[in-house]
Parts: sequence; structure tokens; C-alpha cells
Amino acid sequence: MTSTQWAALSIILLLVGVALGYLFAPTTTVTVTQTKTVGQAGQAGTTTVTVTKTISPEGKKIKAAFIYVGPIGDIGWTYAHHQAKEMVDKKYDWLETTHVESVAPADAAGVIEQLISQGYDVIFTTSFDFMDPTLEEAKKHPDKIFWHCAGYKRAPNMGTYFADFYQIYYLNGLMAGALSKTKKIGYVAAHLIPEVVRHINAFALGVKEVCADCKVYVREIGAWYDPTKARQAAESLISEGVDVLAFTEDSPAVVQVAQEHYQKGERVLAFGHYSPMEKFGKDVCVSGQLVHWEKIYDDILSKIYAGSYSTDNLEDVDYWWKLKEGSVELGCTFNQPINPKFVNELKSVKVQETVQLPNGTILENPDVYTLVMARLIQMGAIWTGSKWIYANDETFDPFTGPIYDNNGNLKVLPGQRIGHDELWSMQWWVENVVGPPLGG
Amino acid sequence: MMELKLIENILWIGMRSATPLLLASLGEIYAERSGILNLGVEGMMAMGALSSFVASLLTGNPWIGVLAGLLVGAALSLIHGIISIHLKGNQVVSGLALTMFGLGLSSVIGRIYIGNQLPVDARFLPVPFKPLSSIPLIGKVFFEQDPLFYMGIVLAVVLWFILNRTKIGIVIRSTGENPAAVDAMGISVPKVRYGATLLGGALAGLGGAYLSVSYNPAWIENITAGRGWIALALVIFALWDPIRALLGAYLFGIVEASGYTLQAIGYSQWLLNGLPYLLTIVILTVGATESMRRRMGAPAALGIPYEREER
Repeated sequence: MTSTQWAALSIILLLVGVALGYLFAPTTTVTVTQTKTVGQAGQAGTTTVTVTKTISPEGKKIKAAFIYVGPIGDIGWTYAHHQAKEMVDKKYDWLETTHVESVAPADAAGVIEQLISQGYDVIFTTSFDFMDPTLEEAKKHPDKIFWHCAGYKRAPNMGTYFADFYQIYYLNGLMAGALSKTKKIGYVAAHLIPEVVRHINAFALGVKEVCADCKVYVREIGAWYDPTKARQAAESLISEGVDVLAFTEDSPAVVQVAQEHYQKGERVLAFGHYSPMEKFGKDVCVSGQLVHWEKIYDDILSKIYAGSYSTDNLEDVDYWWKLKEGSVELGCTFNQPINPKFVNELKSVKVQETVQLPNGTILENPDVYTLVMARLIQMGAIWTGSKWIYANDETFDPFTGPIYDNNGNLKVLPGQRIGHDELWSMQWWVENVVGPPLGG
Repeated sequence: MMELKLIENILWIGMRSATPLLLASLGEIYAERSGILNLGVEGMMAMGALSSFVASLLTGNPWIGVLAGLLVGAALSLIHGIISIHLKGNQVVSGLALTMFGLGLSSVIGRIYIGNQLPVDARFLPVPFKPLSSIPLIGKVFFEQDPLFYMGIVLAVVLWFILNRTKIGIVIRSTGENPAAVDAMGISVPKVRYGATLLGGALAGLGGAYLSVSYNPAWIENITAGRGWIALALVIFALWDPIRALLGAYLFGIVEASGYTLQAIGYSQWLLNGLPYLLTIVILTVGATESMRRRMGAPAALGIPYEREER
């Protein structure tokens, strides 16, 4: 056979396959007629409205697809999303999931089209860069549900979600301030976008609360994932006298650097980022931030299954989950907010301030360990010593004024808090940050 | 005193991070000098990194890891060799495919090792040679390193010597310049090219091994993060010369590492970081003319499959 004949044959086979698929596919929708009686105020009588809706029959599976920007194996952002997806997938037998990894933003729309043609009816896109393609696809497919992570554009069938760390960065800052001997604390940052700036500022506010003359030195590496550069930046900070390191980069390189210095007999401590990194630095990893995307995915998918989220009511649905929802956790490893090796040292440092807990208890000049635990309670996450309990109550926010920027300008008036929009567009450093100039 | 220690540390970390670039570019110089352009360095490095990580993890011996990296790198380059030497295919396409293949394969096989760390005795650690390592400024840089770092320097010198001072070197260089003449002398062009390509692959694998067994002793997907491409730029920067590759690699590494200190005093390091690449582009532009290209050492038959003229 010639190649033309081969091509013709494959097209025919493909068409036959598609036709068979249609013939034998089970019908998955039924039409239900609902009759509602609507009473109108100020009017005599009632109007009867008949609504015909196509809904899923009982036991119908939800098919959800996840689009990742990076490889599953980055031990960072994509890894965490994937772990969460797997957990939710295992939990519900009505849920069927799939994923596509390492998707370039330019390819996102094509990948979404492909997934929809494969029958997926809920699409999660897990990178800020996917915002516009997701919105476009949402408009093109009004009968599908879309969820976009880390963005701000929504549509009737497209919601947004994010698990924010800034409260935890602040708590890490408290500990960093107590543990630094050189009063120099280093921060290795991927890119100085508002999200990272917000986190560094929250961290620096924590540092300042415990150690007024400590400074936070920021280095930007220009990549979300580059262990070589993260290592160079960490080593360069250490040679400038930094003895505590925090970071935003999707590899454990910074924690490894600290552990290597520890083994050489130099005390350099670190805070983990995103996934449990204790095994990379068991002697140096004090605490850190961990994410539980599964809490958000569970909530979203359950509500879709129950019918409370549909293709016409997501315009205003924005998950911005923090400590009190349990979507983020304090610690270098799960279920251990602070590495026990550092508890005594933290207990030996007192902070001159008064903290009032939600139940009215007043703490005078607490030590840093107690302060961290108290702040957790004030932000709705209570550590009992063996597990987390959540309270839907926030009586404290790290971004409460007075806050000065590092040029000495008063940015937040005493007693005021920074609002959501300002936090999402932050482009200035708080006073004790020594960092590269920020644009905009 | 503080400043001295700072400079010392920048040199130290800069030269350490330059070692994988050096090893990979040394191999690529040989391949290109024989006329084979292999753009698969990134893929071979990734597979070298994975295989040496796994071998070190399983055996507890980093030297077995190094061996695995060398062999796997060479095995991958054999694919490129067959396509570009035997089948006379397009070397650019084949090399790019090799990069994608190597990155993909390393991430698939590596999936079960994600987040695993090498135990301390299965890694190469920088060991100080006392008292030499306490010489100010250069002590730590030259006398507190791991075995692969020294291997990089030795290899650069040895490979320079072979290429420029021995008959083997003349044959390799001639194969890249004028394969027909080599053929006329009765030397097999494919054999020379296979040899150089395999050496290139093995050294790219060794560069990868350095990343996963010494520099960053844990398995993370995409551990190379573009280092293979920088090695390719370095080959041009070094004008296809092993000693210049040694100096160039250290320049690339130190420039990158010192960028972070520059940030500290309020300057943007991006311009400085771009400098080596800017120079590479300048070299490529200058080298676009035939006469300059000749003088710079770019092999004339680079990327061109050798076809013996039939009579």
C-alpha cells in the first residue's frame, strides 16, 4: 500500500471508532422539569414558573482535569498540587481525575480543548500564567466548570482559589528573629512578584517584632526552580554573615546548604518551603510553610457534586484560604510546627509585648515559643500538641500598622490592616528589609 | 577581613557551580572538533545525573555513580552518533530530540526517587587539604574541593594536550575540518567521529553526575535546569579550546555567583549575568565571516555529514 492508502485507512478506522464510541456511550443526562411558585411582594396572586433543567443523574461521575505548569517531580508547587489531587481522587469514588504536567502557558488553551473533548467537565489550571487562556476557554465552553489558581479573573463558570502563606511567613519571622546570632537573616527569592514581596514583608515583620535591629537580606535568583542558583545565592548570603535562611524556590537546595554548613560546624538555620523538607536538614530546619491544596480541592469538588457550584454562580467565588481553613500549615514537616531541637532556645527569648487571646487570656512578655502558639490561636489554627484544630476566627493580622517602608515612609496607619487588593499588588519593602529595588 | 572571606566564598561557590559546565563543554568540544554537533547535552546531563544518583544510592559508592553517569551519557550519545554518522541525518534535529528524550526519560524513571537524598558517604564532599586550605583567598578555592572538581581541571589540561600536541588530536581536528583528507589518508572518518561523540556523551554524563552526586546530592526532576545549554554556549565562548573552556567555565560560574553580592549593594545583577552570553553572541557574529571563523577555530565541517564521493 502507498502512504496515501495508509492515511485513508487510518482516517476510516478513526471515524468508525468515533461512531462506535457514540453508539455505545451511556446517556449521561436526564431532563427534569421543576415547577416553582414565586410570590411577588406587593402583588396579589402568584406566578407559576416552569423551569426545565438538565441535571446529572445520581451516581454520575465528575471528571476533573488538572493542568500543571511544572513537572510533578519538582518537590515544590506542582508536586503539592498533584499530591492533593491524588488524595481527593482516592477519597471519592464519584470522582475521576487526570492531569497534564509541564504545560507552557502558550499551550494551555489547546490542552484545555483536548481535555474537554475527552469528556472532562471540571478544569483546574494551577498557575497564574494560565489566567487568560482559562478565561477564554471558560467563555467558549459555558457548560463546563473552570477553576484558576492564583489569579483574579472570574466568570459565571470560572472561580479562583489560592492558599496563602503570609501568616506563616510572619510566624517563621518571629522564630528567625529569636534564633539569629548575627542579626542578619537571609531570604532567597525566586521572582520579586507581589506574592513573594508580601511573603518576605510578612517574614520581616515577624523578625522585627522579636529583634528590632535584625535585618532581612533579600537575593533574587530569577527562576522559580533552579537549585544551582538558589545554592549560589544561599552561599553568598552566608558569606555576608547571614545565619538564618528562608526562601521561595521549588527545591530543597537552601535547606541542604544550611545542613552542609551545620556538618562543618557552622550554625546556619533554615526554614522549609512548600513541602516537608526536614529530611534535607534535620539539624537545621526550624519550621517552614506547608500547603494542603486538598482542603480546597475537596471543598470545591464536593460542592460541585452536591450541586451548589454550577456553571452560572462562580463569578464571585474566590477561595483565599489561610491558616484558619487548614489550607496551610506551619512546620518543616507535617504535624510538627516547630522542630523540637529549637523549642528550648525559643522559650529562652522573651518579647516585650502584651498579647490577648480570643478567650480573654492576657500574655505579658511571652517567650517566642509561646508567642508563636498564641499568634496561631489568634489566626484560627490551634496546635494541641498532637494535632491541629481550626477556629473560624481571626483576631490578629501581621499586616497591622504602624508599618513603615524601608525609605522611612509610613505605609500603614496605626491600628489599620492592609486590605486584600493592596496585599496582592505589594511593591515596597518593610523597614527592616535590605533588598533589590522594586519596580512599580 | 570580612571582604576577603566574602570574595573567597564567591570564588569557591562560583567554581564549584562551574564544574558541570566545564565537564560537559570539554566533551562537546571534542565532538564538535570532529565535526559532530550534539545539541543533546542537556538530555545527556539529565540522564547522567539520574543514573549516577541511582547508582550511588544503591551501592553507597559515589565512584560507581560516576561510572554509571559516564556509561549512560555515552550510551545516549551513541544514538546521536548513529543518526548523524551512520544514517547521515540532520544533527540539529537529532540533538534536540536527544535533549527532549533525556529530560523526559530521566523524569519518568526518576519519579520513584523524587525527594530522595544521598547518604553522606555516598556523595562527594569537599575535603579541605590542611594546611593549604587555609591560605587566604585561594586556599579554600583550590584545596577544599571534591574529587570531580580536580578531575575537571586535570581533564581540561589533558584533553588540551591530546587535541593540540598529539597525532590523535590532529586526526580529530582534521576530521572536523576536512574529512575527505582524513579519509584519503586511510583513516575511518566514522570511527573518529563515533569516538569523539561517545567521549562527548560520557563527559556530559559526568557533568550530570557532578550535579546529583556532589553539588546537589538529592534527586529532583529537571536537576540540570538548563546547564546543558550553557555548556553549549561555553563551547563557542571558548572557541573550541579545552583550556579556554576551563577559564570560560570559571568565568561563567564566578560571574553568576558574584551577581548576588552585587544585588546586596543595590545593583541589578542581570546585566552582569548576561555578559558571558553577550560575549558568546559577539563571538558568533564576528565569526560569521569565513576568514574570522577559520582563525577562531570553528570546525569547517561542523554539522555536515560526511559522504564519501563515489567514483
